[in-house]
Amino acid sequence: MQSFSGRLFVITLGALLLPSHAQAHAALITLGPVEAIEIHAGYDTGEAMRGAQIVVYAPDNPAQPWLTGTADDSGRFVFVPDGTPGRWAVQAREAGHGAMSYFIVEGGETTALLPAPAQYDPLQRLVMLASIVWGAIGTALYFRRPRQRERA
Amino acid sequence: MHIPDGILPVGLAISGWIATGGLVALSVKRIESRPDPRAGIPRAAMMTAVFFAASLIHIPVPPTSVHLMLSGLMGAMLGWYAIPAIAIGLFLQAVMFGHGGLTTLGVNGIILGLPALAAFALPRQANRTGSALVQSAAGFAAGAGAILFAVALFTTILLAGLPAHLDADAERVAILTLAVAHLPLALAEGLVVAAVLGFLRRVSPELAHAS
Repeated sequence: MQSFSGRLFVITLGALLLPSHAQAHAALITLGPVEAIEIHAGYDTGEAMRGAQIVVYAPDNPAQPWLTGTADDSGRFVFVPDGTPGRWAVQAREAGHGAMSYFIVEGGETTALLPAPAQYDPLQRLVMLASIVWGAIGTALYFRRPRQRERA
Repeated sequence: MHIPDGILPVGLAISGWIATGGLVALSVKRIESRPDPRAGIPRAAMMTAVFFAASLIHIPVPPTSVHLMLSGLMGAMLGWYAIPAIAIGLFLQAVMFGHGGLTTLGVNGIILGLPALAAFALPRQANRTGSALVQSAAGFAAGAGAILFAVALFTTILLAGLPAHLDADAERVAILTLAVAHLPLALAEGLVVAAVLGFLRRVSPELAHAS
């Protein structure tokens, strides 16, 4: 659900604003790479969470959102954290569905905390489903037992 | 229709647990008062497996997709047994596939449990009339009504717990879109419940009325 883009270029525009009378203005552009967080919000069916609402919580205030925004049609959202050290939380939600993910900023380094979003392949799902069905059959047979004994 | 962890405020999640806990306790009491409480367990166990698997079956309803719920079928087939069966099914769905969540297990139990009980009561009343057409219509209404009831509960709970920092309008539109996408599912599950109850009445009337 969450991955990191390598670098994102941010353009800052600065203009010399001089008081009073007209003068020639020189526009300055500085380019610099920054580390950004890229979120891909989607469902386990493979569908993207189109237009999902994204809420980012900084480590120093987990109760108040640091940033809110909206994912694009592919469920993608990019933002640049301000470097506050600690565990950041990112939530994506849409119509009552959603998930939370985390990353850690420490000493200028950003590490993704992967809470292992359940991504099972069809075979794994089948085995999990079969185990539950088998458990149900076992339960059903267990509770049928006394009745069969009475009949016998 | 499974609300995951982290979506609802803590107060709502705790209220959900209390409400579902009360509902399960009431159901167990009603089951215990039956002449043979164990008799319904094999069917409840098998239906729990069906309910668990149903959430994995997704039906695309553009622009979104919905999954089978079967709370109407659970209620119509199991009666009071449906409540513990749904609670166990929801727990397994949350821990194995991350559908729903543990903090929201109570709220989800109410969203699916109350419609199941309504779906239990309706065909039982209709069975007393004896008319096959009325019974089929009651089966359909039980299945379809359970979905509509669940959607209404889901929508109400979500809107009640909408945090202030969200874009409320965008979330309302998303919730409404999802609710409308459940209309075809209501139709399909209504037909399923009517068909299953009709089949049981033909092959084994005592099974159809066992719950």
